[in-house]
Amino acid sequence: MIRPSRGQWAGVALLLLLALFALGVPQLIPGDPTRQSLSNALLPPGGPFPLGTDAFGRDMVLRLAAAIRLSLGIALLTTALAGVIGVALGVLAGACGGWVDRALCGVADTLLALPGLLLVLLLVAIAPGQFWPLYLGVSLVLWVEYFRMTRAAALRIAASPAVEASRLLGFGPVYRFRRHYWPELAPITLTVGAFGSATSVMSVAALGFVNVGVRPPTPELGQMMIELMPYYNEAPLILAQPILVVFLLVLALNLIAGGKTQ
Amino acid sequence: MTAFQRLRFGAALGVCLAAALITSPTVRAATAGKPDDRALTIVARWELKNADPSVNGYAFTRMEVAETLVDADGNGTPKPGLAEGWEASADGRTWRFRLRPGVSFHDGTALTADHVVTALNHARAKPGSLSKAPIQAITADNGAVVIQLAEPFSPLLSFLADSASQILAPASYDDKGNVTQVIGTGPYRVAEFKPPQHLVVTRYDSYWGGPASIAKATYLATHRSETRTVMVESGDAQIVFNLDPASVQRLSRNPKLTVQAVPIPRVISVKVNAGHPLLSDLRARQALSLAIDRTGIAVGILRQPETAATQLFPPSLGAWHTPGLPPLTQNVDRAKALLAEMGWKPGSDGVLEKDGKRLRLTLRTYPDRPELPPVATALADQWRAIGVDVSIAIGHFSDILSGHQDGSLELGLIARSLAVAPDPLGTLMQDFGPKGGDWGAMNWSNPALTEAIDRILRSQQAEESAAAKRTVGTILHQELPVIPVVWYTQTAAVSKTLKGFEIDPFERSYLLSRLRWVE
Amino acid sequence: MIRPILHRVAQAVLVALMVGVLTFALMRSLPGDMAWRVAAGRYGYDITDAAVMEQVRHSLALDQPAALALLSWFGDLLRLDLGVSLISELPVVDEIAHQLGASVTLALTALLLSVLIGPPLGVLAGLRPGGGLDRALFALSITLRALPQFVIGLLLIYGLAIVFGLLPASGHGEAGHVVLPALTLAIGLAAVSSRVARDATVAVTSSGYYRFGETKGLRPLENFLRHGLRNIAVPIVTYLGVQLVYLIEGVVVVETLFAWPGIGHALVHAILARDVPMIQGTALVMGLMFVLLNAGVDVVCGGLDPRRRAS
Repeated sequence: MIRPSRGQWAGVALLLLLALFALGVPQLIPGDPTRQSLSNALLPPGGPFPLGTDAFGRDMVLRLAAAIRLSLGIALLTTALAGVIGVALGVLAGACGGWVDRALCGVADTLLALPGLLLVLLLVAIAPGQFWPLYLGVSLVLWVEYFRMTRAAALRIAASPAVEASRLLGFGPVYRFRRHYWPELAPITLTVGAFGSATSVMSVAALGFVNVGVRPPTPELGQMMIELMPYYNEAPLILAQPILVVFLLVLALNLIAGGKTQ
Repeated sequence: MTAFQRLRFGAALGVCLAAALITSPTVRAATAGKPDDRALTIVARWELKNADPSVNGYAFTRMEVAETLVDADGNGTPKPGLAEGWEASADGRTWRFRLRPGVSFHDGTALTADHVVTALNHARAKPGSLSKAPIQAITADNGAVVIQLAEPFSPLLSFLADSASQILAPASYDDKGNVTQVIGTGPYRVAEFKPPQHLVVTRYDSYWGGPASIAKATYLATHRSETRTVMVESGDAQIVFNLDPASVQRLSRNPKLTVQAVPIPRVISVKVNAGHPLLSDLRARQALSLAIDRTGIAVGILRQPETAATQLFPPSLGAWHTPGLPPLTQNVDRAKALLAEMGWKPGSDGVLEKDGKRLRLTLRTYPDRPELPPVATALADQWRAIGVDVSIAIGHFSDILSGHQDGSLELGLIARSLAVAPDPLGTLMQDFGPKGGDWGAMNWSNPALTEAIDRILRSQQAEESAAAKRTVGTILHQELPVIPVVWYTQTAAVSKTLKGFEIDPFERSYLLSRLRWVE
Repeated sequence: MIRPILHRVAQAVLVALMVGVLTFALMRSLPGDMAWRVAAGRYGYDITDAAVMEQVRHSLALDQPAALALLSWFGDLLRLDLGVSLISELPVVDEIAHQLGASVTLALTALLLSVLIGPPLGVLAGLRPGGGLDRALFALSITLRALPQFVIGLLLIYGLAIVFGLLPASGHGEAGHVVLPALTLAIGLAAVSSRVARDATVAVTSSGYYRFGETKGLRPLENFLRHGLRNIAVPIVTYLGVQLVYLIEGVVVVETLFAWPGIGHALVHAILARDVPMIQGTALVMGLMFVLLNAGVDVVCGGLDPRRRAS
């Protein structure tokens, strides 16, 4: 394994802080993030509401915490799902080669050619207001990246003398995967995973922005931005909060990915 | 290409783009030209679909491209349009419309009674007001248009004023009767029609009422209200409709703009399934109504205190608004008492229970009107306070209609226009007929109400009709087949470079031909 | 030369088949009565009721078996006919030409702007890795990438359109209208493409052949143009080619913000209104564009790097 850089440590620390906030707030401040109080609308941060309230008088600190949990939850689940499928198929394609490789590459290429937005929109339309279409849709878009990276690496590893020797010595596929493939694939998986999570956070927010995906009143970062946008002049500090949170989340994940490019 | 060539190519592109960036404001200034030729841009949220009057007719009457036989004034009262005048026979079944002389379509054809008959017959075959009128025949007779009815029908004039009944030139229709292009008689003609966003119109110089002052106008459909406000702030648009509540306050402080607000006949109300075991009891409907903080919603969400509904019909609807009715107000204690009277007792978490069953209801609504979901959340919150646990299902508006048909709907939050045609009667006979209506009563009917509506339909006397209208208002107020929440206000921001701007409360026209540029 | 072309043609056919079947199956499995949705999509909430819905159901022949409908779509496809939109009743081809055309214009302009901003800066930073410019650019790039697109868009609107009045804020129709949305997209793209260019530059300048160019006495500029540029261009072209596709479908947020007609917006509406022909047509055209674009990237990269042609 490569030693993490300072940037990566910073990313991990930032992400932990955000997670701590998201999980800690409900323990410290009781209340319901969807509870309205129209007479308390758009209060500035401070006082009984540490981060103020939105246009319906809902407590921003509770909403932000819930929204981070949602975004991170979706990001983790989709990345894990996409990662498992992508890595497994990538290794399979790279290690087997031949028609297996060609068939899998064909599937990946065709899926890439399908507009990802269309896929997500259709899935969301099948079960409006539920979360699983979002998980599935975003995973379907993300796994191809894992697949391509792992396959490229696996092709190289499969041709290496070490793997050849292992095979001649009669070691099984599980051993070969653990001994030869995984150590090289792990850092790639981490990088792709961090990028994938960042993409997932952004996509869900973007979908919320165009009113697709998570339904109100469930707190979601993109939707919070769009709900608060009309009040940019009146309550800029409130509008800035969800934007800042998305920024920090994506920044943390990008830092973990090491500032590399895809 | 060698590397050097490629570099030079890139540099040239860069220079071009930079030039485009720098010159674009000057280009814009140049196209503005003389003050009189300036083009006007109107932005609203309604997207364009096609040229079919039953689908998109309103866009063409609003932009004053097409006109109707009968027009309506600011109170919804019929006034002469392409018909100069009309007479009804004594039995109220034969109507004769005299056409305005000297009217021509934008392709130069002179308007004749035959054209009107063709256009109206096409309109009857499509969804829209006219298809719901008891029309037996429309014929041309000696330069006049004669409409034969099966029975007296007082809202006929209003139905003829519906934008779906617009009169188009014969060349507008293909051989199947579909409209392929809109050739109307209005002060503006279509220059460019690009759905879903664009409609450009130019002045029609031979308009029967004399040419308009503004030479060219563009309608731009823009979904997001933030984008619309930005456009009027930056001067890209001169008129912007459907402002969001927060922007109204900001834009009214802008020295370059004026903001207007006019009440319109549209109501946010809760459609109730009166066949539901709980909601069939009037006391339950009253309790739900008493729990609603209408002023809170009007102030907090719509930011217009005067829109809190005191009854179904807003005061702007003239004879339909019944002044003597006790206003709908919030009374949480009374609401709780009514439900207690019915045998509902608070459970451990405050939600009411009876015979071991919790008081749970589902409220369906739709996001097409952006204010509906927040109002729904506010309602759920206020109903929770009297122990009714309401979950919100935000979906497509057709879920409410299909839920009405299959009986699965419990509560539906809707924004209903009371005047698709200027007279609300058309809407009311559809919504509160003996079998209820998709957008109105559900499993509820009232013989006295049906009789009153019938009386207005047949009536030819204002006095009798006004009395019946008060009966309608009173019954709906007492029985609550739909629970009114707030009325609507149309808002617009207008650049001070324009004068003569007015909002038509019936949203039939943007009244472009009355506008002029400030010198 | 024949094999890659055949490969792409086969891929195109595969894409067409899959898009057709998959979108059709998904559309049919959507909940709710299709006739209601189509009627609602056409006539809006003020007109639609049960009577209108029945009229629409009747005119659409929705009771026809699903397999037959799919077969007839493929049949029409062979005659290059994409059908008629259920909502606007206009030919799907025209709708796609207008709306996808607008998206492509926007995406291409954005790509062009980003090429002018990103790679040149990236190359400059890559020539002196670890230098001031490199570090500043890294910070800028990671910041911009973490900002949601519409935040960049809004900042640009307020900066350039409202405060300084330089450019039209939003709209469509005049040449100036494309600048702000394209710039919004371009900034996001440039944030990444500058890093791709920077990494490629670092890899190339630390390579053996580049060092050899230096030792054999080429002037730095000459060495860069002769040995560096071509090699740096390959990953950038590959990256941008892939991005263009994502850009075309990914512009929905920017389209909404700037009132720009586009395919993202059209898709959202078509799905809501169950406009099956429109969705199938759009998916097909976009899928084929993807194949075509990949072929284009292959050709360009082959031109830049002759070694790729051999393999």
